[in-house]
Amino acid sequence: MITSLAWKNVWRNKTRSLTVIAAVTVGVFAGVFAMAAINSSIVQRIDAAVNEELAHIHVNNKEFRSSSDIQNFIQDPSAVITTLEKTPGVTDITGRVIVRGIASTSAGSAGVEITGIDIPKELEMFTLSEKLIPGTGSYFGADTKLNSAFIGEKLAKELYIIRYILTPEAFQSLETKGVPAAVIEKLKPLEGERFTTEKKLTESYTGLLSGKEVKDYGMNIKEAAWSYREGSSIILSFLDVNGHQTGAKFRISGIFRTNNDLFEAMSLFVPQDELRKLTGLEEGQYHRFIARLEEDDLTNKVTPVIREALPGLEVMSWKEIQTDLAMVTDYINQIYAIFMVIILAALAFGIVNTMLMSVLERTRELGMLSAIGMNRRRIFMMIMLESVFLSIVGGFAGMAVSAGVIAITSRTGINLIKYAEGMEAFGYSANLYPTIGADFFIMLTVMIVITGILSAIYPARKALQLNPVEALRGE
Amino acid sequence: MKVVEINEVSKTYHDTEVEVKAVNGVTLSFDKGDFAVIVGPSGSGKTTLLNLLGGLDQPTGGEIIVAGHRLSELRPSELIDFRMEHVGFVFQSYNLIPVLTAAENVGFIMNLQKWPKEKRKARTDEMLASVGLSDRHNSRPSQLSGGQQQRVAVARALAPRPEFILADEPTANLDSKSAESLLDIMEKLNREEQMTFIFSTHDVRVMKRARRVITLEDGRVVSDERTNQPA
Repeated sequence: MITSLAWKNVWRNKTRSLTVIAAVTVGVFAGVFAMAAINSSIVQRIDAAVNEELAHIHVNNKEFRSSSDIQNFIQDPSAVITTLEKTPGVTDITGRVIVRGIASTSAGSAGVEITGIDIPKELEMFTLSEKLIPGTGSYFGADTKLNSAFIGEKLAKELYIIRYILTPEAFQSLETKGVPAAVIEKLKPLEGERFTTEKKLTESYTGLLSGKEVKDYGMNIKEAAWSYREGSSIILSFLDVNGHQTGAKFRISGIFRTNNDLFEAMSLFVPQDELRKLTGLEEGQYHRFIARLEEDDLTNKVTPVIREALPGLEVMSWKEIQTDLAMVTDYINQIYAIFMVIILAALAFGIVNTMLMSVLERTRELGMLSAIGMNRRRIFMMIMLESVFLSIVGGFAGMAVSAGVIAITSRTGINLIKYAEGMEAFGYSANLYPTIGADFFIMLTVMIVITGILSAIYPARKALQLNPVEALRGE
Repeated sequence: MKVVEINEVSKTYHDTEVEVKAVNGVTLSFDKGDFAVIVGPSGSGKTTLLNLLGGLDQPTGGEIIVAGHRLSELRPSELIDFRMEHVGFVFQSYNLIPVLTAAENVGFIMNLQKWPKEKRKARTDEMLASVGLSDRHNSRPSQLSGGQQQRVAVARALAPRPEFILADEPTANLDSKSAESLLDIMEKLNREEQMTFIFSTHDVRVMKRARRVITLEDGRVVSDERTNQPA
């Protein structure tokens, strides 16, 4: 009965109730959608870290990470392989040979980490091959010649392998992408000109276009002018096992594009046997073993087991390697909760105000209820339920709207290409596909109910302070 | 059989350094089936006395015993339960719950008392029939006239069968026809259910129906007379 009465009381003043419900709806939607967008960014980053860059667990010589000396290979690789194979949860293992060196072209050079990989195994364990930019190669495909390398786009730019040219095809592409003819016309003086860097191209067209045109079409122009000459090569130089300078010319077997600029700039992959030949490392000598697990949730459980089994080696999970990302992952729910508490606290003031008005308007009625025998507990419960109903209706509406918008944007994506440079510098994608777990909605429902209860305390206390005689008298 | 006993009851208010004796040493008793009115000029203490009888207010002196309960010994929470169990209230301004239907208003106190649903429904139907509103079960107060609302209020007060009904100026807001109709109903219920009615009123129409008229002046009983009205 109290529940039914409270529900009916909520709709006594429809305009006022709907106003506060709308405020809660908008607040909850804003919070949930922002969380989903942030979450998607983090989920995509973790997905990239695990599937493209790191896998789950790394095992290497204790000295290797700090000194990266070629001699710091794993002394007993068979023990590592046996341990990893026997550890429950481990699904795949691969060994890598890693040397630090210099990549150079006639135009530029950069320090890189050259990783010798077992290509078939890497294809099973990583999705980096899927990040190949079309038209740049085949990721060590059948047409690959001896000494080939798979490099990141950022490194390719630093080595000036990628250039920017506004060809007739580039203008055609701009037209297809909806860039106005007037803008294309303004760019015509740049046709055929070669720009060695993105910066130089930008400086050139900025002088020809208005600020708004640069802002609206700059990214399209850069994409259209992006140019790579297939079959380009680089020189890799490094030390062999005897400490002698060595190196070779490597043909580009493909360029990958990820959302992690640092990874793109530093990582360079070559077939393991080719690197062994050049460095003098023997078959069976590895600098690092990488293990993949059945699921990411096993990481914290499996890592200590392997660490205990291999006391002489450094065993690190991806969370220990990418501590910033791990911290975000481990505390993500707390971060969301804090964010939502701030939003709900702001909304609570609106609910308190509405409930207070409702109580003060019903002074006589509350006095009557007390007079005819409705005790303090029931009156408190009635006011509290009214507040909870207001919160829940608004909260559920907000969650429903959020779920709908998230369902749509998780398919269409949200393009933040204008901020791509900044986001990718930190390894985050500029294309967001909002997503949020069901557990977040459960947590939010609990928080909304608590907000309703807390918002009711002050108005309910006011109601309980009413003296029935005074309340009945004061009309 | 005595339903209510009041012994030397006083109520003094201390308002802005002035002491106001609203009720001053009143001794009265009411028997089961009484149909009594308390009359007197404004400020004579009628409403205060009614509030004291109903346990809405505590006396500053004297003793009130209702159905064996000494009201001064009850804690505030016990007083609320006491009111729910033993007293029926009819207010001048009807005071129905606007969001509930007539039937829900009549069943409200029985609901608080946790009557079984079937029994509650039967009693609600019976009471609405008694006050002539069988066809207005689902009407909200805003859809009823003043007289009809007051009849619903009487049905609500009587439905859980309290020890007695306190009615504070029940006809003050009603036209003559509605007032006479309401008084007919109350008289009928008084006879049929042996329900004790205690009114506070200025209305001569109520006084004419009363079998006992108690007159207050300056918080004191100046007369307590039985009338010739048949029981």
